[in-house]
Amino acid sequence: MYNHYTLVGNFIIVLTGYKLHTPKYLIKQLPTAIVFLNTEFEVVHISDKWITDFNFAGNNLIGKSIHELFESVNEEWQAVMEACLLGKGGDTGLQSFRNKEGLQRWFEWTNIPWFDPNENIIGIIIQAADITERINNEMQQEKLKLLLNEKSEIAQIGSWEYDAATDELQWCQMTRKIHEVPDYFKPAINTGLEFYKEGYSRNTISLALYKAIETQSSWCEKVELITAEGNEKWVIVVGKPLYKDGEYKGLIGTLQDITHMVQSEIKTRESEDLLRTVIDNIPLNVYIKDLESRKILVNKSECKYLGVTDPSELLGKSDFDLYDKEIAQISRDEDLMVMNTQTPSIGMETVNVTKDGVATSFLTSKIPLIGADGECKGLIGISLDINNLKKQEAELRDLINVISLQNKKLVNFAHIVSHNLRSHTANFSMLLDFLVKEKDEQEKQHIIGMLTTASDSLLETLENLNEVVAVNSNTNLAKTQVVLYDKVGIVTKNLAEFLKENKATIINRIPKELKVNVIPAYIENILMNFITNSVRYKNPDRDPIIQLSATRKGQYDVLSIADNGMGIDLQKHRDKLFGMYKTFHGNSDAKGIGLYITKNQIEAMRGKIEVTSEVGNGTTFKVFLNEKD
Amino acid sequence: MKKIETIFIIDDDPITVFGIKKLLGVCNIGAEVHSFGNGKEALECLNNKLARNESLPDVVFLDINMPIMDGWQFLEEFVTLPLIKRIRINIITSSIDPYDLENWEYYKARTHHLIDYRNKPIDKIEIEAITKAA
Repeated sequence: MYNHYTLVGNFIIVLTGYKLHTPKYLIKQLPTAIVFLNTEFEVVHISDKWITDFNFAGNNLIGKSIHELFESVNEEWQAVMEACLLGKGGDTGLQSFRNKEGLQRWFEWTNIPWFDPNENIIGIIIQAADITERINNEMQQEKLKLLLNEKSEIAQIGSWEYDAATDELQWCQMTRKIHEVPDYFKPAINTGLEFYKEGYSRNTISLALYKAIETQSSWCEKVELITAEGNEKWVIVVGKPLYKDGEYKGLIGTLQDITHMVQSEIKTRESEDLLRTVIDNIPLNVYIKDLESRKILVNKSECKYLGVTDPSELLGKSDFDLYDKEIAQISRDEDLMVMNTQTPSIGMETVNVTKDGVATSFLTSKIPLIGADGECKGLIGISLDINNLKKQEAELRDLINVISLQNKKLVNFAHIVSHNLRSHTANFSMLLDFLVKEKDEQEKQHIIGMLTTASDSLLETLENLNEVVAVNSNTNLAKTQVVLYDKVGIVTKNLAEFLKENKATIINRIPKELKVNVIPAYIENILMNFITNSVRYKNPDRDPIIQLSATRKGQYDVLSIADNGMGIDLQKHRDKLFGMYKTFHGNSDAKGIGLYITKNQIEAMRGKIEVTSEVGNGTTFKVFLNEKD
Repeated sequence: MKKIETIFIIDDDPITVFGIKKLLGVCNIGAEVHSFGNGKEALECLNNKLARNESLPDVVFLDINMPIMDGWQFLEEFVTLPLIKRIRINIITSSIDPYDLENWEYYKARTHHLIDYRNKPIDKIEIEAITKAA
């Protein structure tokens, strides 16, 4: 069936040799897959390569139809083959084929007509080249290219290349996109530089470029550029010199749009700054502590409170470094409680004592800092200095005490008034009732006498009450500086007769220069009262000696009046000593009004009085004269 | 009704003492009346009577505000005296101070004696009502 005169393509010389059988073996040994078909598409010659490539080993293929060999001969190929028989050749095509391992392989086939020496078409010569590798490579490259584009798109990284020889600058698609230039834009080194923002950015890149060209150094800079459309962008520009065979060829580099990153960075920094500003300027002490209760953040108020100028002086320190040990332990226990239970403690009143002993009251809140993993990392402390509030509270409490004391005094006084007036009116009403019913003239006179006594006594009572009211209502009588020593002199002089009569001795040990802040009339009355009382209640066994002295004690000048009189049983009488109409000794001239008025006068000058006494030995009164107010 | 034999008046105001005595006279109770200027004097007299085993007063008129020993101080001592006899104590005062009323309640609860509390003035009818054996 084969015609040994037929010759083909490149093999023509070989095939036209003298050895007629040569073609058959020659074709068999060809290093490419080749098959000769007759006009019936039946195999006439076939190379071993074809047999191995297409997996036909062991089968005699000669005389078999191509259709038997390839079930999947596609229509295109069939048409090509038929065209070949009509003299049209050289068409190529692709055919995929799965080998025995099931791997896909790609073949490029070439069909040419098979001519006999008389130029008659006697069949088709098909050459198949295994191009699987090539196809795979092409696909790989395509993939890489796609991947690169994708990456460049996602990361917003473009590339550029500068050819020193031609002075040409190439921008990739992404680089163009970042610059927002149209596709036809032709970049150059100079025009490229102009995109960078004038000033720092342009200078930086210019310098980097210059250095790279001059000294072949690479660079990486974060700069700003302004796009063709006028948008400002932050970019990272990387450039490095390119060498070929050790010879400088130009530059290559990348351009990354990091505007979003920079913007979010700026935003983060701005909110950080805002937070820091707020923390630093709120009038609260704010700090953050780690698990060991060491400070890892402190604000300005906290620095100021602890007397340091820079937060670094406090960082890493614990309460034990800053406060009194006892206070620090309390604080540490609170910290542990908050961190262990992960429960905030809000608005506790605490007192901090710094190492120098200064105590400050705070309203403190401690809030656990819980990390993303749910573990406690430390705590945030917020303390409000309530020292002033506490002080005001204390002042207010003092004021309330003073007011309630005054109120008590007032109620007491009202009762005194009521009692005194009632006892007199009761007597009047009773005596008048008797008088009306009395027949006996002598008894009538007796009753009238008693009415007169009652009337006098009522008048006296009213006078005493008036005096008390005057002391308590004239609280705005001006206090002046008075030499206390001299005042004692005046009182002693006024009482000279009385003192002489009772053989009393006055010892004035008050410093001669001491001035006290008092209402002059009151101090005289006070001195007179105490001196006369001391004489009046003298010990019958001895002559009275009264010693006066004065010392300064805080805001008070303390006037001390000590006698050697009969003394008072304070256990029994302390409550009533300064009461109105209370007397303790059997003396008939005791009216129980003197000490009451004296006490009122001392209190009207915002002073106070203390007494110590021993029955039989004497009494000492201490008058506290308020210097300040 | 048991006859009243001895009456004590403890008051530093001579007019009140006179008044009570006169009212008692009008009522014609016919008892022996002793008056004292303060609690201390009355207490001393009571102690003497106890010591001598003399008869104790049936009724005591007691003022509160007095020098040396006032009515409350007197009561403080009085309630500790070993007296079997129940004595009627009439507190006669012009005080309307709640403190005094509290004291009255306090002493009432502490003793087996009868303690009454009356505001001045006192008239004939009232004095008759409260001058009887406890």
